[in-house]
Amino acid sequence: MRELLWDAVLAFNYVVLFYFVALNTVYLGTSFLAFGALRRHAMRMKSLDLTDLITSHAAPPITLVAPAFNEAHTCVESVRSLLTLEYPGYEIVFVNDGSTDDTLARMTEAFELEPAARIPTAALPTAEVRQVLRSRRYPELWVIDKANGGKADALNAGINLCQSPLFCAMDADSLIEPQALIRIVRPFLEDSSTVGVGGILRIANGCRVERGRVVDVRLPRNMLARFQVLEYLRAFLSGRMGWDAVDATLVISGAFGIFKRSIVVEAGGYATDTVGEDMELIVRLRRHCAETGQSCRIHFVPDPVAWTECPETIRVLARQRDRWQRGLLQSLVRHRVMLFNPRYGAAGVVAFPYFFFLEMLGPVIELLGYVSFTALIVAGRADLLFVAAFLCASVVLGMSLSISAVALEELSFRRYPRFLDLLRLFGIGLLENFGYRQLNAFWRLRGTISALRGVQGWGIMTRKGFLMSDRETAA
Amino acid sequence: MVILALFTVTVAFCGYTLILRLQHDARRRRWARLSAAWEGPVLRALADANLAPRVHEAVDPRYRLHFVRFVLEYSRRVRGKERSALRELARPYLAPLAERTRSRRAEVRVRAVQTLGTLGLPDYEREVLAGLDDESPVVAMVAARALAREEFPQHAAPVLARIHRFEDWNLRFLAAMLAAMGPEIAAELRRNLADPGRPSWVRTVDAEALRMQMDPAAGDVAAALLDAGQDPELLVALLRLLEVVGRPQHAVAVRSLCDARHVMVRAHALHALGVLGDEGDVPRLLDGMNDASPWVALHAARGVRAAGAGQILTHIATSGHPRALLAAQVMEEEEAA
Repeated sequence: MRELLWDAVLAFNYVVLFYFVALNTVYLGTSFLAFGALRRHAMRMKSLDLTDLITSHAAPPITLVAPAFNEAHTCVESVRSLLTLEYPGYEIVFVNDGSTDDTLARMTEAFELEPAARIPTAALPTAEVRQVLRSRRYPELWVIDKANGGKADALNAGINLCQSPLFCAMDADSLIEPQALIRIVRPFLEDSSTVGVGGILRIANGCRVERGRVVDVRLPRNMLARFQVLEYLRAFLSGRMGWDAVDATLVISGAFGIFKRSIVVEAGGYATDTVGEDMELIVRLRRHCAETGQSCRIHFVPDPVAWTECPETIRVLARQRDRWQRGLLQSLVRHRVMLFNPRYGAAGVVAFPYFFFLEMLGPVIELLGYVSFTALIVAGRADLLFVAAFLCASVVLGMSLSISAVALEELSFRRYPRFLDLLRLFGIGLLENFGYRQLNAFWRLRGTISALRGVQGWGIMTRKGFLMSDRETAA
Repeated sequence: MVILALFTVTVAFCGYTLILRLQHDARRRRWARLSAAWEGPVLRALADANLAPRVHEAVDPRYRLHFVRFVLEYSRRVRGKERSALRELARPYLAPLAERTRSRRAEVRVRAVQTLGTLGLPDYEREVLAGLDDESPVVAMVAARALAREEFPQHAAPVLARIHRFEDWNLRFLAAMLAAMGPEIAAELRRNLADPGRPSWVRTVDAEALRMQMDPAAGDVAAALLDAGQDPELLVALLRLLEVVGRPQHAVAVRSLCDARHVMVRAHALHALGVLGDEGDVPRLLDGMNDASPWVALHAARGVRAAGAGQILTHIATSGHPRALLAAQVMEEEEAA
């Protein structure tokens, strides 16, 4: 019996090995695709006259929907920054999602809000909307004051009041670069079947922010934040760029994505019973379009940037990763019909299985792998040379993938101008393999368990605010 | 062996990244140096054309294409005579780009066509026109946008003849491109719009372009085409055109679409009726405000306002009428405008 158990542990190690090979093959594949796509993108952008596009009648009107819950510290600054975007026709709908602090009072004071009339153009169900306000000073700024219902609910309330063909879903506390809208709208002009486009999220911790704009980009001092800078580069430049190259984008970040309003309303808006409403919407849109026979393109474009503040403490980061994993699991399980289903194109045949088997089940396999390896070593049943070689290969490959993401950044956008920051990113690529990666796997495993137990809710996300980032860098 | 190979790859990535950084820094320094050297002479030449030879003296033969790029970026910020002067400055250096329009790489071709289209017309007209037939749709679009300018009305025909190549592009984007060619192409747009043999999406673009040009003669054409059997998108474009350039006699044709099944057709018909109709149409518009579709109700209310019956909207807005919010919104829109 005991021998059988050891055989099973040994066999499981082959599963771990297979998982490791499969995961890294996908990572290498997307990095390779991203390399070509970014080169093409860079050349393409050189031939584009953005100012010509900005002044053109062609730019479709956009409504920015910014949900906020207890954002009193950052809301005024964020909205001021939104008011200075370079785009010919846009409105801002700031949704106060039942904040218990003085978010609404600060907004009212700063922007001279007054009650205004606006009929809903859609009927997505939401928590009670108490009042609609409009700024006397900035007629393009609207505020919805509603009972708390969560981010998805707040977005739906914003969509209900949206009168433009496109809307931009964002976080009220993220900073959108001035030309980001004109850049993110480009795929809608080039391909009329485009229904959604996501931009890149970058980490603002450590950067100098002045009047709602990131004016000096540098790596954060906090080590956890540094790990996340590299993670974001890998996820967006290697991952999403690569998936986009094969038209299999399944995730658009909830902090910055733009959508065709009519199709989102037709598909039922954001799901309020998941914590991963951003991914769930993309998967549902893909499914909806395929099932109703509509042509539907969803893109990731790497040049429109939204800056966001990432967690700097273990506790908050753990909560965020737990939520991301729950959201992933909920979306994948809900739409499992897409798994290996050619009806949904590359998204169903390639991207969905990747997320299902490697991203969703990955943490379980990875952590059990650590346990079984340790058990085999302790019992003296492991081929130590093999174990050492495997761990070594894992570290070197992980580092190689991270550095390839840094190379992609250097090839395309070079947002970190200091040479020392570049060298630091190399170092982080090595260091993250010792502790951070394992912690991440653990948090994601916890998220998987929470999802299986039916845990809902976002948990509290503590943020310092960009003003703090100003002070921190100036100190 | 595997680990060694992976390690080598990692080191190679590091090396590649560092080389990219060093290359980029060197390029940036060179560009800053060249820009600083050229900016003064170029600005002086813009003020006084006789000083153009000084600019050419400042251009090192090794950096001719850099100079073209410098002028291209500058030309995006200016219009009219200054842009023409910049074209003259770039002219001696454009020949190598003509060769690049035949490159195998679409990204190289698109850049070359874009530069020649901005700085090289009419000298490199042949190359830019050839771009319209390029296998890459992006090159074709860049060529079309370069040619679709009011100063080159002679290029309208080739652009219009190839508009079918851009079926995937956003219709409003295409319409803005055609409208940029100015009133000289309006007659051809009207002819194309009236041609039932052309695809309805192309006619939709024509109608939108005529609306952007506010072509007064397009009203009769649009009204004659209003028929419930047409493609809904085309009908919406025709109604939008009539909202801008229509005359009271077109109201008869518009009325027939106020009960159309398609929501946006019904909505725009009601709005157009408000603009073109008479007092007798107000009850119909008020009825439209009760439509189940919020879009139809909104456009009908705007129609009421356009018909000059704002006082009725004010009354509705201040009463306990079920459409009070809608009426208030439309009145506030008017105040904001």
